[in-house]
Amino acid sequence: MFDPHANALFHTRRQLFSRASKGIGLAALGSLVNQDLFAASSGDESRDPKTGGLASLPHHTVRAKRVIFLHMSGGPSQIETFDHKPALEKYHGTELPSSIRNNQRITGMTSGQASFPVVKSLFKFQRHGKSGASISELLPHTARIADDIAIIKSVHTDAINHDPAITFIQSGSQQPGRPSMGAWASYGLGSENQNLPSYVVLLSQAHGLNVDQPLFSRLWGPGFLPSRYQGVRLRGSAEPVLYLQDPPGIDRTARRGMLDAVQKMNRMRHDAYHDPEIETRIEQYEMAYRMQTSVPDLMDLSKEPEHIFDLYGPESRKPGSYGANCLLARRLIERNVRFVQLYHRGWDQHNDLPRDIGLQCRGTDQPTAALVTDLKQRGLLDDTLIVWGGEFGRTVYCQGKLMETNYGRDHHPRNFAMWMAGGGIKPGMTLGETDDYSYNVVENPVHVHDIQATILHCMGIDHKRLTYKYQGRYFRLTDVHGEVVKQVLA
Amino acid sequence: MHRNFLTLAAAAGLAHAAVDFNREVRPILSDNCFACHGPDEKQRMADLRLDTREGLFATRQGVAVVTPGSASQSRLYQRITHEKKPMLMPPAATGRTLNARQIAVVRQWIDEGAKWDMHWSYAPPRRPEPPVAKSPVWARNAIDQFVLARLEKEGLRPAAEASRETLIRRLSLDLTGLPPTPAEVDAFAADKTPQAYEKVVDRLLASRHYGERMAMQWLDLARYADTHGYHIDSHRDMWPWRDWVIGAFNNNLPFDKFTLWQIAGDLLPGATREQKLATGFNRNHMINYEGGAIPEEYLVEYVVDRVETTSMVWLGMTMGCARCHDHKYDPISQRDFYRFFAFFNTVNEKGLDGQFGNAAPMLPLPSVQQETELAEVKAALASREERMKKFDLKALVADWERDHVSRLQPARRDGLTAHYEFDGNLADSSGRYAHGKASKGEPSYGLGASGRALDLDGDTQLSLPGAGAFERGKPFSLALWVRSGNGKDGAILERTESAATRRGWELWYDDLEVLLGRKRESNLHFRISHDLASGDTLHIRTRRRMDYGRLNHIAIASDGSGQASGLNLYVDGKPVAFEVLADNWRGTGAAEAPVAIGSKALRRPFKGRLDDVRFYSRALDATDAAALAGGEAIRAIADTPAAKRNREQTDRLRDAYIAQAAPEELRTLDREITQLKARQAELDKQILNAMVMGEMESKPRDTFMLARGDYRNKGDKVTAETPSALPPLPKDAPRNRLGLAQWLLDPDHPLTSRVTVNRFWQHYFGAGLARTSENLGSQGEPPTHPELLDWLASEFVRTGWDVRAMQKLIVMSATYRQSSAAPASLAERDPENRLLARGPRFRLPAELVRDNALASSGLLNAHVGGPSVYPYQPPGLWEELAYGDGFTAQNYVESKGADLYRRSLYTFWKRTSPPAQMAAFDAPDREKCISRRQTTNTPLQALILMNDPTYVESARKLAERTLTEAGKDPAMRLRHAFRLATARRPDARESRLLLDLWKQRIAHFRTDRDAAAKLIAVGDSKAGAQFDAAELAAWTTVASVILNLDETITKE
Repeated sequence: MFDPHANALFHTRRQLFSRASKGIGLAALGSLVNQDLFAASSGDESRDPKTGGLASLPHHTVRAKRVIFLHMSGGPSQIETFDHKPALEKYHGTELPSSIRNNQRITGMTSGQASFPVVKSLFKFQRHGKSGASISELLPHTARIADDIAIIKSVHTDAINHDPAITFIQSGSQQPGRPSMGAWASYGLGSENQNLPSYVVLLSQAHGLNVDQPLFSRLWGPGFLPSRYQGVRLRGSAEPVLYLQDPPGIDRTARRGMLDAVQKMNRMRHDAYHDPEIETRIEQYEMAYRMQTSVPDLMDLSKEPEHIFDLYGPESRKPGSYGANCLLARRLIERNVRFVQLYHRGWDQHNDLPRDIGLQCRGTDQPTAALVTDLKQRGLLDDTLIVWGGEFGRTVYCQGKLMETNYGRDHHPRNFAMWMAGGGIKPGMTLGETDDYSYNVVENPVHVHDIQATILHCMGIDHKRLTYKYQGRYFRLTDVHGEVVKQVLA
Repeated sequence: MHRNFLTLAAAAGLAHAAVDFNREVRPILSDNCFACHGPDEKQRMADLRLDTREGLFATRQGVAVVTPGSASQSRLYQRITHEKKPMLMPPAATGRTLNARQIAVVRQWIDEGAKWDMHWSYAPPRRPEPPVAKSPVWARNAIDQFVLARLEKEGLRPAAEASRETLIRRLSLDLTGLPPTPAEVDAFAADKTPQAYEKVVDRLLASRHYGERMAMQWLDLARYADTHGYHIDSHRDMWPWRDWVIGAFNNNLPFDKFTLWQIAGDLLPGATREQKLATGFNRNHMINYEGGAIPEEYLVEYVVDRVETTSMVWLGMTMGCARCHDHKYDPISQRDFYRFFAFFNTVNEKGLDGQFGNAAPMLPLPSVQQETELAEVKAALASREERMKKFDLKALVADWERDHVSRLQPARRDGLTAHYEFDGNLADSSGRYAHGKASKGEPSYGLGASGRALDLDGDTQLSLPGAGAFERGKPFSLALWVRSGNGKDGAILERTESAATRRGWELWYDDLEVLLGRKRESNLHFRISHDLASGDTLHIRTRRRMDYGRLNHIAIASDGSGQASGLNLYVDGKPVAFEVLADNWRGTGAAEAPVAIGSKALRRPFKGRLDDVRFYSRALDATDAAALAGGEAIRAIADTPAAKRNREQTDRLRDAYIAQAAPEELRTLDREITQLKARQAELDKQILNAMVMGEMESKPRDTFMLARGDYRNKGDKVTAETPSALPPLPKDAPRNRLGLAQWLLDPDHPLTSRVTVNRFWQHYFGAGLARTSENLGSQGEPPTHPELLDWLASEFVRTGWDVRAMQKLIVMSATYRQSSAAPASLAERDPENRLLARGPRFRLPAELVRDNALASSGLLNAHVGGPSVYPYQPPGLWEELAYGDGFTAQNYVESKGADLYRRSLYTFWKRTSPPAQMAAFDAPDREKCISRRQTTNTPLQALILMNDPTYVESARKLAERTLTEAGKDPAMRLRHAFRLATARRPDARESRLLLDLWKQRIAHFRTDRDAAAKLIAVGDSKAGAQFDAAELAAWTTVASVILNLDETITKE
């Protein structure tokens, strides 16, 4: 039994590890953490030599080995998608009762409005699947997978504006500085893949016309965790990983020759200095070399059959699009990448909501459903968790002028809809209920920290026990909150 | 395992020596017990405190928590060894457990008499006498005496001094951040005088790059960046503050002044510009301008950031925890937090700011010349405005309106083929009934130049069928009012047949140039084509850029000649000059298409306002244009009752009166005032400013405790005070930032000097003597050499906080000069070099990895200071995340020429997308104060060093330099290149290896010259024409290998 403190003092993990791994040839990329060779602060825990994850993990049975988080950035309206409110037909155009609003704070964008007229959804809902889930006509493809997903209509958050809200759902804190969810997963569980990052980020641009939502690299940042746990952005461009391509005039033979020279020189240096960092660097260069093949192979969709493109929709042939990114997410999952974070921009519909949510749904609905279907038909859905949702919902009252065919909705943190599917999740159910105005949760509230706790739970992690000591304090994704949402667990 | 345990215990000196409470016992208690039995009153269980002497030695229910001398009779020991799980401490639910060694330490401590001491960092530093070692010859200064004594205790000996090549490289990188030149290495190697080393140290400490190197760590602490950080994340200008920091180090500003000015320079009597500028330190936090965000929420965040930053930088403490509740480990109550908060809560700032550049309060930083001119302009303006007072302008305008406006002649209507007034509809009022229609969306209408006007959102699309059929050979005119909402290459009006030929005509504002601040100017274009692709087109562009954000009247008239010479362009009724971009219109230009508004067919759709659009079948002249721009609008304004006019209308009427009817004196005065104001605005825009601290003058903000840290939950009102567990603020000290600074700088303050010298140590050795340099509190790691830390702290104060002297003291030590090569046994025994039995060996910080490559290759532009620059970055990194048009720092525009090769600390730092290649080498995102960077080792770093054009170009330049400077012999060339990057000569094996590579590569490039040409074309700089491409390419690959070596990116 080692004292972690003494351990770090006289026998750092990196040393133990570099010995353990010699000959295995594992290496680490950014979030790829086959080995934790970081000169850790004291208190660092011992690690699994195969994955580089914490040896103390998993805490319990793993239901989801991998996660895909489909983040709809901007805050999709629950009222137009999953939270059917027939009573709004009756209330349409009337003032939001103060008994419903209950003095809750609203954003600076509508706090000056003289009137808060209630708006019904322009779109129709129907019940779908055996579960009879109520889903809007905007999401016909999602409707077809109703029996595969668990819809939670009662999610609520603490933040009311984008920056804090999106930072909160990704990192558990409204203010910058904390690790993102994927970074926690990478830190805790390490990687099952030797050639790709364990935490990959894919960005796709909006389909709607109003795109006034920025994103921030902190959303997939490592916070105070070592920077290798940060998400690695895979871009739809010629260079999916930055600087992946050899410079013009350097072919693979040349690269190998140069690399061999670097490696031999570094090996000689190691013999003189015995610095384990040199060994690590040698391994990192090999990994970089392998990535130059593995990443293009990952990105190459040319061998995907026609019916797959049909499944994901026409956009899936366009690199960087949401459709292509969904397909890419499946390929990443097939390669055992731990955490895929996919962002889709443009859900912030303060005005022209009917038009823009229509466009957004048209652009995302089919690929999203295709991803679930595709994973299912490959038997991967059983141990992959898919999460869909934004950072908050939208108000039942109209922002701007209410017209017959046009309206807007402001940010609404008090309830919104998300869904989860796959590993560990009970398929075909709906959880939570909101009031007639979709303004307050009336049954089974689920806080963002609860969602986070549940995601970690599915991955075999007790969210209260995955901690990291920084500035003297033990931090965790869920801060001091969060309860696993047992009702949605299979 | 057993053997290991013994080795560890023996190495730690635990089994035999007496247990030290502060170093060994307190960390165990703190980490495992304080959360429930510590300073946080609300969380305290069983009313038991283990963080104070009283609590630890209290007797409860007849049993002492700790009975000195007897662990078995101490409740503490009983509970941590309890057989029954529910009784065992710490409880399983906390997730914390004590291991056998920790239990043994506690037991030994109690058995040895349980000597208690207050937490080491809260007691004022003593000045311990440097111990005399058994073999003192090695020691060069007091540092070495402390280090050596410890080594002797461990049975270790210091390493030999590093080679001169290694030493000068280490010194150069540590003190200037740049590698030594071969000449400097040679000079040092040849200098046999005893002062040789010191001479190098003094030279480097006097270098202007010393300030840059020292500033790097300070910028991390100060979370310095070039953007605001939240949400939109637009540009800010804080580089004057950054340059002040560099200058402060270069001028060796003592650390007390350095501190005082940054915390409270503005409050000093007669504060100088420099002292005020220094306070920018506490304005470098993130600032929000998210539409809809709640100002009060962010006002709190800014102050919290100042508290967290100030406490980490000077107190080595993380006070942030106490925002929501009493600190769980350190004696900082929530009340302490908000009292500290109060020092920073009276800044005259807004909750949401930074939309356009800096956020108030700001300090203007005019040059002497600008200052003089501004004063002149202001004086001239004041005198004119004084003279203006004798005119009752309002009455004069009213009289004129009554007497003259009603009699104004309307614009001639002959030749009018279509006229859209947009008074709430799309009707054509020319009588030809060419009414417009909405092809997509519904138009909306606002207040216009006359009556109402059409407002377009970029999505609504309209068409005006039958209007604007311009043809060559027939005169035509087009007149309209327009205000563009974006100026981003959006067509205003167009009538074009197809994207291929663009037959027809187009009117648009071109792309605005990316400029700082609120610049809204672009050029107006008009083009009429028969077939654009084949050049059959007439295209003009205004010579001057126009303010597209105001409502401009535009009239374009053609005499029917179809040539540029027959075109006239009027803006606001006056002819304006234009450039002719094409004058080769030959065909008809008659397009089979309606006039389209808001179309997305060819450009971004127009967003903005249109009014009074008219088409004519004759060429308007200057009188027509003036009448349309002046008379018509004036008449329309006069039709609006005075009370209902908007500002624009009132101004327009007034301007018309002055232009047409005012007495000469008034007219002159008005013109001069307009010009002077424009000049003043221009100057204000040119004059740089920086964000600084500034107190609210009239009613300073009150500070309240905030329950759970939430701005909505105000509790007790508190006033500024320092934390109660630390020495008190002197009675006579002002209760403001000035008093706070004085308190920090009290020679007996237990933290300021310790925290600072500890960070200096970290700069050289990669880790502080207390390794958690951000936290010297209860949860921080106790120092490895506590006496040395205290001695250095007292020495720092004794020398009058002399920063440069402290650097010199450290680098002059024998400890620092040791070789970093370690025998395997030492590397194994002390992998982190806590005992300092060898020199430091660490990968260079991100900035230096790049600077070293640039400097070795000769590419480096060593200019000090100035605005941040934009080196190579893969395209799209910002844009994929950006907010979009209308804000700064949303598009990355790469620098040109020499600015590509500035030192890395001048790279533009966008918080939401930090410089990619620096982030990969562990540079922080600068969102929060960082005291200690991590050092990771990833394949992304390898990819950058191998493939980033920065390094490929550096390799080529290094190759060019080698070919130029090192003669013809390949071995000599290799040696030179190797020395430039590593300061040393390669040994025989290394040379052979690299020369083999070179031979292989040159053979290859001689057969594939195309590949060679491609490789040496990488980068903005051009390869010298005198080089043979194959040879240069082969050496480039060798140089690239050298730049990729672990040694090259490592300080040894």
